[in-house]
Amino acid sequence: MLKKTARKFIASREILGSVAVLVLAMFGCAPQPPYRPPAPPVSTARVPPAPVAPPVKESPRPTLPQDSKIREQDVRTKVPPTPPTPNTTTESTRQPSASESAPVLPPPLADDSSLLAKITPGTSPQRAASLRLTDEGRKILDAGDPSKALSRLEKTIVIDSTNAYGYFYLAKAQYRMGRYKESLNFLDIAESRLGAEPFWLAEIHALRGENYRAQGQLQRAEASYNQALRLNSGNRTAVDALARMQADPPTSQSAIK
Amino acid sequence: MIKSKLRILSLSLVALLVITSSGLVFGAWYLKQLEDKVVEKFEGRKWVFPSKIYADSYFLYVGANLRSQDLVEKLHRLGYYETQSAPKVKGEFRTAAKPGQIEIYLHDFDSPTDQFKGVPIRIALQGNVIAKIEDSLDGKELTYTELEPELITGLYERIWQERKVVKLAEVPPLVIKTILAVEDERFFHHYGIDPIGILRAMWVNLRTRSWQQGGSTLTQQLVKNFFLSDERTMSRKIPEAAMAVIAERKYSKQTILENYLNEIYLGQRGSQGIFGVWEAAQFYFSKPLTDLTVGETALLAGLIRAPNRLSPYRSPDAAIKRRNVVLAKLLDDRIISRKQFDAALREQLPRRSLVKVTNEGPFYVDYLRRELEDNYSNSVLTKEGLRIFSSLDLQMQRMAERALVEGLKKLEAAHPALRRKTDEDSLEGAIVVLRPQTGEIKAMVGGRNYGKSQFNRVFQAKRQPGSVFKPFVYLAALMHGGQSGTIYSPDTVINDSQFTWSYDGQEWQPHNYNNEYFGAVTVRRALENSLNSATSRVAQDVGIRRVRDVAHRLGIQSPLPAVPALALGAAEVTPLEVAVAFATLANSGARTRPLAVKQVMDKDSKILERRDVRPEQVINPQLAYAMNQLLKGVLDRGTAAAARRMGFTRPAAGKTGTTNDYKDAWFVGYTPDLLAVVWVGFDGPAKIGLSGAEAALPIWTEFMKNATASMPVIDFIGPALPPQTGDSKCGPGETGEPCADPTVPIKASSGT
Repeated sequence: MLKKTARKFIASREILGSVAVLVLAMFGCAPQPPYRPPAPPVSTARVPPAPVAPPVKESPRPTLPQDSKIREQDVRTKVPPTPPTPNTTTESTRQPSASESAPVLPPPLADDSSLLAKITPGTSPQRAASLRLTDEGRKILDAGDPSKALSRLEKTIVIDSTNAYGYFYLAKAQYRMGRYKESLNFLDIAESRLGAEPFWLAEIHALRGENYRAQGQLQRAEASYNQALRLNSGNRTAVDALARMQADPPTSQSAIK
Repeated sequence: MIKSKLRILSLSLVALLVITSSGLVFGAWYLKQLEDKVVEKFEGRKWVFPSKIYADSYFLYVGANLRSQDLVEKLHRLGYYETQSAPKVKGEFRTAAKPGQIEIYLHDFDSPTDQFKGVPIRIALQGNVIAKIEDSLDGKELTYTELEPELITGLYERIWQERKVVKLAEVPPLVIKTILAVEDERFFHHYGIDPIGILRAMWVNLRTRSWQQGGSTLTQQLVKNFFLSDERTMSRKIPEAAMAVIAERKYSKQTILENYLNEIYLGQRGSQGIFGVWEAAQFYFSKPLTDLTVGETALLAGLIRAPNRLSPYRSPDAAIKRRNVVLAKLLDDRIISRKQFDAALREQLPRRSLVKVTNEGPFYVDYLRRELEDNYSNSVLTKEGLRIFSSLDLQMQRMAERALVEGLKKLEAAHPALRRKTDEDSLEGAIVVLRPQTGEIKAMVGGRNYGKSQFNRVFQAKRQPGSVFKPFVYLAALMHGGQSGTIYSPDTVINDSQFTWSYDGQEWQPHNYNNEYFGAVTVRRALENSLNSATSRVAQDVGIRRVRDVAHRLGIQSPLPAVPALALGAAEVTPLEVAVAFATLANSGARTRPLAVKQVMDKDSKILERRDVRPEQVINPQLAYAMNQLLKGVLDRGTAAAARRMGFTRPAAGKTGTTNDYKDAWFVGYTPDLLAVVWVGFDGPAKIGLSGAEAALPIWTEFMKNATASMPVIDFIGPALPPQTGDSKCGPGETGEPCADPTVPIKASSGT
């Protein structure tokens, strides 16, 4: 009896939920489905313990129709959307069952993007100066002047050749200037030096994905975004990019590139 | 009789007519020629602008190592003037206020990406480290600042004219009024020549019985500067006057005045002539024209008569006297008030360290010019006023030059057999210095004496590298393993004994130094002690083609024949190639292109070209790290251990090189931040009879000790370990490198 009531309750919640989603979808603000990577994640034994992150409310989220407009969201506190996968259903009201649901991603990592926060009393003067300069380069980059940022950022690796963040932002500056090959080269170097920092490694994979996408290599781009999300499910670049790819699926021709 | 007289008369008239008409025709033709010249000068390109080559800018940041004497030297070279009081104007600095404190009022400077406005700053040093940088005006702390790059040289034909062209509207009215008052007060009332002015000048000159005044108008002065020499003769005065009248007839007073203000000669800085009022304001006062005070304006206008004799830098008393005369004239003409006059009289003269541009780093400039000539014609380089920003570090360049010249002298003193009777065949050498992370060429010395030989051995001389090539063999072994199935690591034991390598029906037999063989040795020891036989065996096992490919991948561009002798460095390469290849190892396996030219700007500060840092990960960082560790052993225990005895103690890796016939001696060595290659030998076939450790290493050590003195001590670091995410691909990019602890020697045959 209790089971029956519970089932009824769940069914009614499902129906109510579906209706709510449809209403929200009509207004373009439907909640996003959880991200389901194409491959299951495996051991994260070498990843440092996940930093404390705001708890994620795991309310049931129905899959959206593929042509739904995806609203930007704060991916650091919400679960990212599902990237396009061959088996993704288009039924908007269908609930993923427990057996179908994708393996759970590690919770998003705490934001480690502040370079100035890395300067501590124990930081060497060269590293501190290089980090400050990198931060300045980042700001110039965000202000839309990659050429000027490039000059600043080149100095960061002169002052401290071990400052891998400098290499990352050099890659970003090159990407912004449309030099994708050069950007990928810088990312290779950044990766070899930031391999122990999952937050930054995710940033690297995401930017690599951006470069591949810009070059029309969509499959490689998707793989890079997924890799970024496996490292940090809250990586905004990867989440947004996969959402864009989902909204505008690649043509067969571009996927071959 | 009458008839004959009439005949003579008519003939005379005809002759007169012919002569007159010929004269008129000639005169008309001559005037037309002059007019064409005037038009060409006014409407065609009027001025040539030499290109200027700058060294790298000087970056100062909190925590940077800095010796105060180095900074003071640098400031002097940049034309800053040391004062005893707090710096008040751009271009002054003071060291005397407090020990360990330097105050600088920075110059303005336009870099390719920034426009630096000169501000007063205060740098506090603790020992040899910058503890604090602050803006002296508001006390705001700065994390870094930058000194403008030094001018290395100019590219020009015949005369180096320094000039920036300005529009008439950009020139302050006071500057114009002052110049007109002292040079041509009737400018707006004459037609190119001024009879009243000439009569007045004649009267003054007669009265004083000396050449006190000229009657030339501004237009005549302009014409003289445009076309004619400085001689004061009638044969020059006549066409000058004619052209002045033509110019006045064809062009407005404003056009003529604007040309004059840009054309006028106003001083000399070494081989650079200072032309035009804008450039003069920069040279004398380090400020734009619009910021000139009344006193400065008067000084500048007063200079026109005799820029060098009245220069405030050379003859302050004469300059003050002349300025005061000009100020009095301005007061008389009511151009300035009495108050302005009194204030201007109290103004101090500008001061500046008169630094001559001495064409430093000539080998570097030659290399740079070659690079530029791919994109710019000689005409563009010498006339279009390009500003070329290079990666040269002038301080390092001087250190490298000194280390090479002194080092070669010491070698000749210690080994008399190396001395030659003539300079043409004397012992030679070369140094090239690179920053591995960026590929920037920081210094380049292509020979002992540029004046005697401009042959740049850094990139023009192809020489056998000898044992410098061996690290490529071992890197190939660590990457690929042996064809025998051997997996090489630094501790792998290999055989150092005599052997013969048979290939293509030929036989090749390597020999060790002094024919001494050590039997079973580790890879580490074989490399540290540069054992020929053991290295050749490894090369045979790995395959010489793989060795060649590794060398190319690292940055060697010269063709390398896949023959056994390649393993011992028998193929010819340039020192620059060697530098690039080893910089790849120093930079954790990322190869960078060598950079001399960084940016090129045109005279309007538009960026024409920019050469960015372009690294490419060509070797697994783990392998590069392993090789760096092996090559550190060469300095710590191996053939380059003498560097340690000579006082070079910081973490560094390197390799000696000596060719079998003792014609070439090499040393390539590097810290994580700086790499230098030294080659010593004769240009001809003569042998030096010394090893790389004996001939090249002391020069390298001397240079590196000085060049790294103000750098932080850092060691080579291994690649960071990637976290495991199941299908993650360790190592760089998507090359599928195995993940491993970088501190453990490579035992897998991996590589990119």
